Amino acid sequence: MPVLETQNLTHIFPDGTAAIQDISLRINAGEFIVIAGANGSGKTVFIRHLNGLLVPTSGRVLIDGEPIGKNITAARQKIGLIFQDSDSQIVGQTVAEDVAFGPENLNLPREEVERIVPEALAAVGLSDLAAQSPHTLSGGQKRKLAVAGILAMRPEIIIFDEPFTGLDYPGVVQVLRQIVQLHQAGHTIVVITHELEKVLAHADRLAIFCRGRLAENGAPENIVIRAENYGIRLPLRHGGTVGELTWLR
Amino acid sequence: MSKNPPEAFNLRMTVYCALFTALIIIGSYISIPVPIGPVPIVLADFFIMTAGLFLGCKYGLVSVALYLGLGIIGLPVFAGGKAGLAAFFGPTGGFLAGYLLLVALVGWIAGKTRPAVLTHALALMAGTLLLYAAGIPWLKLVTGMAWGAALTAGLVPFIPGTIIKIIAVLAVARVLLPQFRQRSGFQQYPRESVSLSHRAPAADAAPQINKGD
Amino acid sequence: MAPVTFFHCIPRDTLLHRMDARLKLLCLVLLSVAVSFAVAPAHYLAALCAVMAALFTAELPLPALLKDMKIFGVIIAIVLVVDAFSIPGPPIPNFPVPGVSLPGVVTGLRFAGRLTIIIMACAVMTGTTSLLTFKNVVEWYLRPVPFIPEARVAMMINLTFVFIPLIFDQYVEMMSAQKARCADLRKNPIRRISFIVLPLLSRTLRRTDEIVYAMEARCYSETRTRPRFKTHPADWLILAAAAAALVFILYYPCA
Repeated sequence: MPVLETQNLTHIFPDGTAAIQDISLRINAGEFIVIAGANGSGKTVFIRHLNGLLVPTSGRVLIDGEPIGKNITAARQKIGLIFQDSDSQIVGQTVAEDVAFGPENLNLPREEVERIVPEALAAVGLSDLAAQSPHTLSGGQKRKLAVAGILAMRPEIIIFDEPFTGLDYPGVVQVLRQIVQLHQAGHTIVVITHELEKVLAHADRLAIFCRGRLAENGAPENIVIRAENYGIRLPLRHGGTVGELTWLR
Repeated sequence: MSKNPPEAFNLRMTVYCALFTALIIIGSYISIPVPIGPVPIVLADFFIMTAGLFLGCKYGLVSVALYLGLGIIGLPVFAGGKAGLAAFFGPTGGFLAGYLLLVALVGWIAGKTRPAVLTHALALMAGTLLLYAAGIPWLKLVTGMAWGAALTAGLVPFIPGTIIKIIAVLAVARVLLPQFRQRSGFQQYPRESVSLSHRAPAADAAPQINKGD
Repeated sequence: MAPVTFFHCIPRDTLLHRMDARLKLLCLVLLSVAVSFAVAPAHYLAALCAVMAALFTAELPLPALLKDMKIFGVIIAIVLVVDAFSIPGPPIPNFPVPGVSLPGVVTGLRFAGRLTIIIMACAVMTGTTSLLTFKNVVEWYLRPVPFIPEARVAMMINLTFVFIPLIFDQYVEMMSAQKARCADLRKNPIRRISFIVLPLLSRTLRRTDEIVYAMEARCYSETRTRPRFKTHPADWLILAAAAAALVFILYYPCA
């Protein structure tokens, strides 16, 4: 049974443009799925439906078979979303404070918050920076902080929206290692990106969005060869394999 | 216009209030002291007028009240780094209180009329008149100046700047207000603790969406 | 970076950093009330001693603070000069500059003394208290006040301080981008204001939307884990000292 499922999801903006149309996608527990697509293909709008930030014009989103509207707070706790721009995700004035934001929203007892925050920071390797201002962190560290803020809420599914944008080489490696680690720890991972060459080797499945529709969906090695039809750079050289598509090592 | 129940908490508008408070604070730091009188030219009122048009009467008032509140508890957010209740009793205190009248009137007129350059201009001019109607008598009272001197210090040097600011607010509102209204009217899932009406939170911010004209 | 370096907390481990921030804010209020009643030199001396003691206990870097206070120095100087010339009264005997009145100078000096002490007290407060703590204290004091949703007000205060550096950074970035395209050659002031404000506002509004989504994604709620305050016995002593300064100034004969 899929942990997360969308049925005929359609979102039409007030000015009449259709951002996504008729998208049905199932995500299984423990899966690592990459969603690719050119700019404006509706990837970001799509994932914002998954934890109820946007309300679909028609269609629905199910978590464990239940519509998410039933208990939106539970849905958002279960699905952690890492935004493309980590600056706007950070609301605390120190690193530790920002991580505490989520658990405090869930109204956990103070003792538990004080236990969870160092754990989450240790999980992403930011323990030494707990008292720093988030403003002083590097791009990769900021994204790690965003991950810590999500981990503190104990999610099952973690969604990354363009996690590599604006990062230098060490930053990309840092974040990628983090994603793979989270997957190994048992989280279901969804990564939105158009840079397949950085991450595809770790994925179980690849879905391609084109002009608001789900164009391809299946095993990466079957689909990746058609990537260029949808405005995504074909990451394979002649004779290469999907297993080479990673920036780790 | 439909009245919101008090518990219909609108996170989006609340965050916008904080944004405008921050803009007003930054605006007061972009201030030019005038050598001949105690009233400096500030950009704070520029953002207060914008807040009136964008946020409407209720949320605009919240935003300005937060700004004044931060000043009262002692943070140096007023023009020239002044702070505290003392600033209210100083020569420019009337202008600080007048900011509340300004944003309320601008937001109220703009919310009652169709969104158009003409009505916006009317709202801004009426609000500005109210601001000076509060500021200048107070300036005269505190400094003991004559009416003529108070007008020379508190009004005359600012007329050109104020006109420029009003025109600039109009230009900004014409470009950004339609997008802003559209976004602040987005649908949301009901939260368990929140009222179940989908559209209620947008009522103040987006009159033209609710009236459907 | 941000124009208000004044708000920055300087993390140390001192008596004042550990102090219960609720009592610290109360001390600040007591002290500023006390200073507003100060008339005689002895009053000012008492208040100044209290503030200096706090400044040294907090181990704040004095040179950096003085630099931050420069802008206030200018304001004080202007008021001093304006008061000295504008307030009527007998001139100071044997003073080289004509037109300076004795009551003018006295009023000016009193104002300068008050402002200096209050600013120093504020600097100690902001230097030893993180903004989150400050927010929590405001929330705590607002809790018994009816009709004010304290959690919402506290959240807005917090967000305001998140926004200020964001907007300022964006402003600086945009100004240099525009200078690179010679926008400063434009003469029309309306054009110039809208060239600054339009992109600044449209970017920050979009940014704000993202922040709203991010807060919702992390289940923002007003019924949240409450902050915890710890009061040490020493905190009460500090409060007593501040109260003593107030009593001294109120009852010590004026000159």
